[in-house]
Amino acid sequence: MASRFWTQGGSDSEEESSDYEDDVENEGVETTTQTAGSRYLQANASDSDDSDGQKRVVRSAKDKRFEEMAATVDQMKNAMKINDWVSLQESFDKINKQLDKVMRVTEAEKVPTLYIKALVMLEDFLNQAMANKEAKKKMSSSNAKALNSMKQKLKKNNKQYEDLINKYRENPESEEVKDEDEESEEEEEDEDEEFEEDPDNIRAGSGSDNDDDDDGEEAEDTNDSGWVRQTGRRDKSIDKQFKNPSEITWENVNKKFKEVVAARGRKGTGRFEQVEQLTFLTKVAKTPAQKLEILFSLISAQFDVNPGLSGHMPINVWKKCVVNMLIVLDILTQYPNIVVNDMVEPDENETQKAADYNGTIRVWGNLVAFVERIDVEFFKSLQSIDPHTREYVERLRDEPMFLVLAQDVQEYLEQAGEFKAASKVALRRVELIYYKPQEVYDAMRKLAEQTDEGDNGEKAIEEESRGPSAFISVPELVPRKPTFPENSRTMMDMLVSLIYKYGDERTKARAMLCDIYHHALLDEFSTARDLLLMSHLQDNVQQMDVLSQILFNRAMAQLGLCAFRVGLVAEGHSCLSELYSGGKVKELLAQGISQSRYHEKTPEQERLERRRQMPYHMHINLELLEAVHLICAMLLEVPNMAANTHGAKSKVISKTFRRLLEVSERQTFTGPPENVRDHVMAATRALTKGDFQKAFDVINSLDVWRLLRNRESVLEMLKAKIKEEALRTYLFTFTSSYDSLSLDQLTKMFDLSEVQTHSIVSKMMINEELHASWDQPTHCIIFHDVEHSRLQALAFQLTEKLSILAESNERAMESRTGGGLDLSLRRRDQDYAAGTGAMGGKWQDNLSYNQGRQGRSGFTGGGGRSLALGQAGGYSRGQLRGSGGYSGRAAAARGSQMDGSNRMVSLNKGVRV
Amino acid sequence: MATYDLTQRIAPNLDRHLVFPLLEFLQERQMYPDEQILKSKIELLNKTNMVDYAMDIHKSLYHTEDVPQDMVERRVEVVARLKALEERAAPIVSFLQNPNSFQDLRANDQHYNLQMLHDRYQIEALYQYAKFQFECGNYSGAADYLYQYRALCTNSERRLSALWGKMAAEILMQNWDIALEELNQLKEKVDDPKSFTSPLNQMQSRIWLMHWSLFIFFNHDNGRTLIIDLFNQDKYLNAIQTNAPHLLRYLATAFIVNKRRRPQFKDFIKVIQQEQNSYKDPITEFLACVYVNYDFDGAQKKMKECEEVILNDPFLGKRVEDSNFATVPLRDEFLENARLFIFETYCRIHQRIDMAVLAEKLNLNYEEAQRWIVNLIRNSKLDAKIDAKSGTVIMEPTHPNVYEQLIDHTKGLSGRTYKLVGQLLEHAQTQAAR
Repeated sequence: MASRFWTQGGSDSEEESSDYEDDVENEGVETTTQTAGSRYLQANASDSDDSDGQKRVVRSAKDKRFEEMAATVDQMKNAMKINDWVSLQESFDKINKQLDKVMRVTEAEKVPTLYIKALVMLEDFLNQAMANKEAKKKMSSSNAKALNSMKQKLKKNNKQYEDLINKYRENPESEEVKDEDEESEEEEEDEDEEFEEDPDNIRAGSGSDNDDDDDGEEAEDTNDSGWVRQTGRRDKSIDKQFKNPSEITWENVNKKFKEVVAARGRKGTGRFEQVEQLTFLTKVAKTPAQKLEILFSLISAQFDVNPGLSGHMPINVWKKCVVNMLIVLDILTQYPNIVVNDMVEPDENETQKAADYNGTIRVWGNLVAFVERIDVEFFKSLQSIDPHTREYVERLRDEPMFLVLAQDVQEYLEQAGEFKAASKVALRRVELIYYKPQEVYDAMRKLAEQTDEGDNGEKAIEEESRGPSAFISVPELVPRKPTFPENSRTMMDMLVSLIYKYGDERTKARAMLCDIYHHALLDEFSTARDLLLMSHLQDNVQQMDVLSQILFNRAMAQLGLCAFRVGLVAEGHSCLSELYSGGKVKELLAQGISQSRYHEKTPEQERLERRRQMPYHMHINLELLEAVHLICAMLLEVPNMAANTHGAKSKVISKTFRRLLEVSERQTFTGPPENVRDHVMAATRALTKGDFQKAFDVINSLDVWRLLRNRESVLEMLKAKIKEEALRTYLFTFTSSYDSLSLDQLTKMFDLSEVQTHSIVSKMMINEELHASWDQPTHCIIFHDVEHSRLQALAFQLTEKLSILAESNERAMESRTGGGLDLSLRRRDQDYAAGTGAMGGKWQDNLSYNQGRQGRSGFTGGGGRSLALGQAGGYSRGQLRGSGGYSGRAAAARGSQMDGSNRMVSLNKGVRV
Repeated sequence: MATYDLTQRIAPNLDRHLVFPLLEFLQERQMYPDEQILKSKIELLNKTNMVDYAMDIHKSLYHTEDVPQDMVERRVEVVARLKALEERAAPIVSFLQNPNSFQDLRANDQHYNLQMLHDRYQIEALYQYAKFQFECGNYSGAADYLYQYRALCTNSERRLSALWGKMAAEILMQNWDIALEELNQLKEKVDDPKSFTSPLNQMQSRIWLMHWSLFIFFNHDNGRTLIIDLFNQDKYLNAIQTNAPHLLRYLATAFIVNKRRRPQFKDFIKVIQQEQNSYKDPITEFLACVYVNYDFDGAQKKMKECEEVILNDPFLGKRVEDSNFATVPLRDEFLENARLFIFETYCRIHQRIDMAVLAEKLNLNYEEAQRWIVNLIRNSKLDAKIDAKSGTVIMEPTHPNVYEQLIDHTKGLSGRTYKLVGQLLEHAQTQAAR
């Protein structure tokens, strides 16, 4: 039953399921231990690798089956004589089951004539019985019932064998003779001529039942032996056709090849079988071009082995596919006059030209497409294999194999001058490398060096053991070993520069993202940031495909982590905040699917989503990401909250963080922290009180830190930052309680150096955050009492709102006249909110500086239409510059425009004071 | 002090001929061994036609009287070429010099005129000749010819290179006013999006322009304001940030020396902060100390380094010979202003400062410091008083009136709204008109 079970995954017809039901019914009736036993035995047989013993077993089993069948037919005859429809029905079911077994044992394409004979007999008898109404009336009720059901069953069953039955009816004798032959001499079955016309015939006739069987075997026997055995016979038949090497000509190889190709995709063509046939043909190919052509078909056939989009190609087939590709490359390098192209339809007999032919030979094919497909299959297999198993690791080890292939193809294409195609292949390589830190890269390099030798040997042995040696033997010209530079960065640089030079838009964008990711991985924040900003990727990421958007999100996440590692908290936060704003991090990074309560997904969506998941080894650790995001938010938000105690709504840096904080404050009891969120919240509580030590301890106890390479220095940095923010928070919170405060006391309190403290406090004074000044001789901070009264504060808020209103009026006007800004609005609406925000900043080539400024500070009459665009661009720039701190360049202003203008107003205040 | 020398980074963006002044300066300052400089000079000259000069240098370098054969050969070749070009350009030159020839031109048909000139006199020859003159070091001749050529030429690409050539010639002749005019013309061309195929080219041109303009700006009287106007434009600033961060030094210096450009200064500080990892020298670090980290001790140290840098920079360290007393005007100005910067910021965050400390911070002695402060107070630049008894300066707290602030905030709004309405109406009119 195992084989049956497996086939359900495949694309099989209803026929099969009905058969299946029949089986189940019969199981109840039939209790003969013998069949059960034999079934078991048979399953064993198909599993065993021992081919010597197998032959004997097969033969005896086959005979036995035939005997059984004959016995059943006899039983049926007896039943007919006494007109016993009940037992007839039983026998019929039995014979159907036996047929299955017979077919499996003999592996015949054809249904045995014995069976057909029985069917014909049964049909005749049935018709007779139906015609005889009187006899029918006389029947007992159970008998009549059996007759009726028999009638239906037979009708259904016979449909499958209609052709054969008709044939038999026409010419019972000859069929029988042939049948005899078949039974006795299996090997002689296929005369050359007969074979040529037979397969179609039989396939059409014997149709689906046979197909079921095949499929069953296929699925069951990805562990080889089964289908090797099965197709071995087929092989043999072709073998016979090309028995005599001297007789093989280009024509008959070509003819056979066409035939095999024509059968592709047709119902009843075994996919493995086809692969096997083509493999054989590659060996007998007469000219290199022909071999190439067949190899291409072979590779395509190998891709076909796995139907449907969801599953992945069997791993061993994948490996063979790679090997075949390498052979293709061997041929191509050895015969440089062969050109592979998928643009022109080559001449029918193009491949006839022999190896010594001088001109160019065109062969249809597309190397890049093959490489891409192989990569996709590799990716898919990693997606579907459980990452916690050994299998996954084993699979990962195949990566160098693909890298070799990609490298070879790329080199070949570069030599052939097809740089555009080469850049596509280079991108595939980049995408396998970009996420690897140096350590992983080194490990891969070592692995590649070790395993490759072993692999090579294996391949050679395999090659030799396989039947006759090929006519066109090609030495292994293409290196089978990847050459990796010492450093992953050099490799990236090499590939990426090629892509930038020749790639198309999408390839370039993806390569750029990978490049950014990789730079970020190596802690080169400024380089990565410059790349990101220079490429304007943020502006048009919305127009890209989903996969590229995911890559973009990954790059942003990695950039955020990188910023944090090098101690740039604000930058880190602005990179990450957007990812977390929607609460759909997992989707955005394609690292799993989170359940949403309010939004039901259709199965279609789910399937799509599943298909774009990242394999486990490429994941960015979500806990670490969350920890970094929340800590960044905490460091920014806590002093910010302390600074704006009243008018709290005015300036929110991280909405996510605020919400979490509210939730945690609402809890009646706060237990010890468990997850990342709890930890950060506990730290926040400590920090708001200015207790930096406790805050740090809580955060330090997170175990995600072990994932960081330079853990010590990062924690050191983190501690310094926490101290700094604690100091700021303390000052904000308790200014009103002090009249003066000495520097010494502060340094002791926060364990900072005097210079640092002085610098921090000075900065606060300059930025007008703290209304105080130093008293230099005594090293004290003197606080000025300039707190605004509530009324005054409200008045300020009002004026701010007013200027926002004016601001938005202007913008509305702009969009009416020039439409420069509606882009940002549209962006905000989009669901897949990857990195957006108007952070074009630095490189945005605004039309003219002056115009930009005008746009900001109000219009100067003579604008009109042509001006509008410049104004829009200029506006965003002016705003960015104005919005304080780092934001001028990276991220920050990604929040709403409103927010930005808000900040701008407060800055104006600062300037004037 | 060679660590802060920018010649290597600047030179690739200059014309060969423009590099000479830099090398001269380096030689004068003796930052590198003489031999090295001479060698690089010869290397420079090898590609130009100033063979005589190269020979002289060769002689002084190796202390011989012989000249290598290839130089001699090259000289002959150059002279021959010059002759040939002169001949070809002769007709047009004579045409231009002869006032009567204008009769040939038709007053209103420019197209005809150009065609005629092109056919009869071969304007192209003029260009070649001018270029060759320039290569030979005859800048004034080259400048004249190029000027004329530009008026006649129709090919926009050629015109652009003629502009460049003219500007280089004027710079080398030290005609700063004319050079400035050329610069403005060139700037217009460079900013014109039509004249470049790719943004990259345009940016490269901008970078060249900025490098060349350094000569003009640091010699022209009004240069320090103009340099800010040019460099601080967004497009130019972008170019600096992307490809030539070392130019930040000059912009920073200009900002420090120039008192009138405060509004842009804040933005510039941010740029410096951003570029910290791509470019750093004492001058930018000084600004970072004062305005980013508020580290006044550090700023003071940097100030000393800045002095060195200025003296060793070919553009900044220009000497003025005053009888037999050489000064570097920019250095003095820089130091004065830098001191003011420190003091200003320092005062903003302090209420009471010990005079002794202040004097130390300002690199002045006590008496000087006191005089300096008194002057500031008298000029009402500083709202403070000196407490002579305790030896401290006491700042007057400056807290603006809340109501004033509110008024300030709202003042602009009505104007803005008014303008907005005006524009809306105008827009409506144009819409209606259409």
